[in-house]
Amino acid sequence: MKVSLNWLKEYVDLENIPVQEIVHKLTMSGLEVEDYVDENELYKDFIVGYVKEKKKHPNADKLSVCIVNTGTEDLQVICGAPNVETGQKIVFAPIGTIIPNGNFKINKAKIRGVESFGMICSEAELELSNDHSGIMVLTEEVNVGKSIVKELELNDVILEIAITPNRSDALSHIGVAKDLASIFNKEFHLPEYTLHESAKKVKELASVEIVDKINCPRYTAKVVKNITVKDSPDWLKKRLTKIGLRPINNIVDVTNFVMYELGQPLHAFDLDKLNGQKIVVKSTETETVFTTLDSKERKLPKGTLMICDSEKPVAIAGVMGGENSEINNSTKNILIESAHFNPSSIRKTSKALGLSTEASYRFERWVDPSSTLLAAERAAQLIADLGNGEIAHGSLDNYPEKIKEKEVLLRFERVYKILGFQIPKEKILQILKKLGLKIIFESENENRFLVPTFRPDLEREIDLIEEIARIFGYDNIPTISKISISLGEKIDETAFEDAIRDYSCSLGFYEMVNNPLQKEQFASLIGNKIQILNPQSLDMAFLRTSLIPSALGVVAKNINVGEKNLRLFEIGNVFNLKNEKKEIKNFEDFSENQKLIFIVTGKIQDKTWNFPEKYFDFYDLKGYINSLLIKISLDNVLNDSYYHNGDSIFDFYFTKNYEKVEIGVGGKVKKDVLKQFDIQQDVFCFEFDLSKLKKIKANSKKYLEPLKFPKSIRDFAFIFDNSVTYEEVIKFIKKSSSELLKSVNLFDLFESETLGKNKKSMAFSLEYYSEERTLTEEEIEKDFNYLIEKIKTNFSAILRGA
Amino acid sequence: MLDERIKKITAHFNQDISAVKDTKQLEELRLKFLSRNGLVSQLFDELKNASKEEKPVLGKLLNALRNEVTEKFNLLKDHIDSLEKESVEKIDLSLPGFERTIGSKHLLIQTLNEIKSIFKGLGFSVIEGPELESDYNNFGALNFPPDHPARDMQDTFFINSDFLLRTHTSPVQIRIMEKTKPPVRAIMPGRVYRNEAISSRSYCVFHQVEGLYVDNDVTFAELKGTLVAFAHQFYGENLKYRFRPSFFPFTEPSAEMDITCFLCHGKGCKVCKHSGWLEILGCGMVDPNVFDNVNYDHEQYTGYAFGMGIERTALLKYGIDDIRVFFDNDFRFLKQF
Ligand SMILES: [Zn+2]
Repeated sequence: MKVSLNWLKEYVDLENIPVQEIVHKLTMSGLEVEDYVDENELYKDFIVGYVKEKKKHPNADKLSVCIVNTGTEDLQVICGAPNVETGQKIVFAPIGTIIPNGNFKINKAKIRGVESFGMICSEAELELSNDHSGIMVLTEEVNVGKSIVKELELNDVILEIAITPNRSDALSHIGVAKDLASIFNKEFHLPEYTLHESAKKVKELASVEIVDKINCPRYTAKVVKNITVKDSPDWLKKRLTKIGLRPINNIVDVTNFVMYELGQPLHAFDLDKLNGQKIVVKSTETETVFTTLDSKERKLPKGTLMICDSEKPVAIAGVMGGENSEINNSTKNILIESAHFNPSSIRKTSKALGLSTEASYRFERWVDPSSTLLAAERAAQLIADLGNGEIAHGSLDNYPEKIKEKEVLLRFERVYKILGFQIPKEKILQILKKLGLKIIFESENENRFLVPTFRPDLEREIDLIEEIARIFGYDNIPTISKISISLGEKIDETAFEDAIRDYSCSLGFYEMVNNPLQKEQFASLIGNKIQILNPQSLDMAFLRTSLIPSALGVVAKNINVGEKNLRLFEIGNVFNLKNEKKEIKNFEDFSENQKLIFIVTGKIQDKTWNFPEKYFDFYDLKGYINSLLIKISLDNVLNDSYYHNGDSIFDFYFTKNYEKVEIGVGGKVKKDVLKQFDIQQDVFCFEFDLSKLKKIKANSKKYLEPLKFPKSIRDFAFIFDNSVTYEEVIKFIKKSSSELLKSVNLFDLFESETLGKNKKSMAFSLEYYSEERTLTEEEIEKDFNYLIEKIKTNFSAILRGA
Repeated sequence: MLDERIKKITAHFNQDISAVKDTKQLEELRLKFLSRNGLVSQLFDELKNASKEEKPVLGKLLNALRNEVTEKFNLLKDHIDSLEKESVEKIDLSLPGFERTIGSKHLLIQTLNEIKSIFKGLGFSVIEGPELESDYNNFGALNFPPDHPARDMQDTFFINSDFLLRTHTSPVQIRIMEKTKPPVRAIMPGRVYRNEAISSRSYCVFHQVEGLYVDNDVTFAELKGTLVAFAHQFYGENLKYRFRPSFFPFTEPSAEMDITCFLCHGKGCKVCKHSGWLEILGCGMVDPNVFDNVNYDHEQYTGYAFGMGIERTALLKYGIDDIRVFFDNDFRFLKQF
């Protein structure tokens, strides 16, 4: 919200307090000044100039060469505005001036061959309005050579304040002024006016009836007769333009002025357009169509609070008036509405219509029910003054059940318990009194306060403690340098995933972080997708069901920019409906699992001077997965299953299982899946369910003494049928050997015509040793030869080189 | 007679060996002195002719000569061998080495881990919670009344009227307190979602770290102390800070913590909107209504909570001007950190 410092000074004495001090203290008391413009600073170099002479530019049709008198000298200035004329008083920016719009400095310049010593400014360049159609032409009264700060009264400071939702009381100039009065310990005073009413009684001119008393606790109205709708005077226009509002006419401007002064939104009805000169406040019983004063037809849901006359609705209460009762230039008599509506009712309507106005913004945050009459009278008097109208005697003030001031108890020791610092009692009382709270009970240890109705946020003891701390100043509460730590168990639920990250990096993988919101096509690849009710776009309308689609997206994007060799991983949550037909009603209806994906594509090794290039293949992927499992001691806990036939994602793949439950799956990604991502090279990926992996108990680690006895190595190679798998042979070797055989390594594998059709050669190296003794040649040979014979017969294999 | 010849041959050998430069000359030297017909062998042959008395003495001398010559010869041979070997294997040491790839964690995770380690050092546990949350945990239990404008502070992605994507990590506070009795001391990192237009400054997904400490006598002064200690460790010892009042439905009093802008050192720049200050986190004392919602006695217990955004922190620390960079996963970006 924009606030004018000059306007604030009407209600609180801020003379001799530097602007920066005001800005700092407001921010430090909770009304954060996000930005401010000090006109005195901004316009300090601009002066009033006089155009003595205007000639056409010799080299440019649209430019003029002017002689500008600055009070002390005549300067040649090039001007591009169509409206510059001899004899005008104008705003002149001498060399060195910073122009607000664009924040640039005026230098001596040569424009199309003619020198220019300054600039004649438009309102837009000065940021006084958006008008850049021509230069700003000043009135005769201003003095040439003088600063515009003085001559144009550009001496305000405009503060842009961020008001938090709890501080509805600060959404006006008096609201901010009250806080300033507390901060600087100054007197605050309400605007002064004298009400001049005519003899005509308001009750004879109009009436008000509240039907929905819950949603409209108070409705106050004043009537002003025989007004003239016209432009507002300059002082009023200026007040409004300074805070960014556009002046309309004296009636609308006054209602806006009072809203920004007192915080009470007002609405002015053309009284003659109200049937029966009657106001009825009630909620709609059916869905209704209504045209608001911006000429838009709006569909109102059942239960919308409306302002009606004796026959029809004339305004959406607290949100916007209707076209049918709008004020125009021929309006003579008006009814000014100043009401207090139930915040949640206004918010519901505003949300339902997607229509937020300055009025609804305030009503849904709470408008002080105690000051509706003040605001109505203030507006009536201003309208009467500015439009030559007569105020009817009295007001229509319907307030069936008075909203009481709340009582709050404050225990002084509680201030210490929360803040950890003792603020003196006198200081506490001073702060609360300045904020408008009244003491109704006093004792040594506690006081009871009455909270004014403009502070709905002060309901409990803790609310008062916050106010005390806020005004006392958070910076004045000490920062202790010692903290207490309880000795209870400390846990880190992220430790496991962090370890996985470390190992993944050491395997050469880079980590991705992807947006879990994705398009339907991607979310449909795997699992049962969950839809977002109010997505930002179709590209982000679903939650990811797996990490694979977005990882493929990243692969595609990187290939496009020339990064074709990728080794990536990601840890993130995926979301699936448990039953695709069942809507989410509780946490059992969906799963949110943490997953881990590894994805590789392109080359694992570029060609270098001493190394051939190599592309990623299935065994690289499998190797990475196994390396990781060894590191986390799950290598002998999980087992593999292999699938040649593929599924919807993979051409061929394998799974890691724990007690027959699948923990991870991965392989070579199918061509037609890759096609959806425009990927033309092979991609391999593997996805673990980290939530499940986390829970599996790893083999406990024990120290093994380094071997004291020698190892013996034996090699053999067999020719097998092609259908025999590595896994079968390995299992058989282990089964057919004594415990002296400790490990088996496949060191060669090939197929060749020379071996015979559908034959392959597998060469193994076997490692024998014992932890207790040195083995004899004889016992190893016995074991080894036995094994050879068993393999021969079991697989009908031929021992090579025998 | 023989002993003089011994001296002579010693001198002769010493003279010859000093001229030997390569294997060929070395071989010549060997043939001349140490071969079967070499000068040293000849001397041994002559020993036969020596008298009975002289024999032991001369024998000793001859042995000493042979040892000396052999030793010197071997030393030189080793030296020449190693020289020649080097010249054969003289490799180009400037050729590139065979580099292996060490990957890296995402910059956001690296930043998060720095924050985690500081708070772990201060005795905080690290707890996680789900991203798809109930409206109650995300708002209701945290004292956001239904139909209250406070909800406008956080634009929400809904799944339906009761479930949503969490807009902050604060619901994990509720989950912890519902499960555990005080004292509770934990940080809660995680991913959160806001239905805000995507730009260089905001993204619909980002990361937060939440903190919570509840015990018998937790105070606002201790909250300040803890966060100042964090800021000093994370941003540097010399920074200035300030706490200013703010509003969050689940804390009261609520505050925001600013530190001096480390880009302009408080003078004012574009990044700090000319204020000289950068907002780094929100915090406050846990609202009694929140304690009521998790059945903690708000008379007995007090607590503080805080929350900070990781992206913003990383943007500031690494001079990145577009938040979308974090979610693009451009390999050229990932490799930089
Ligand atoms: Zn700065």
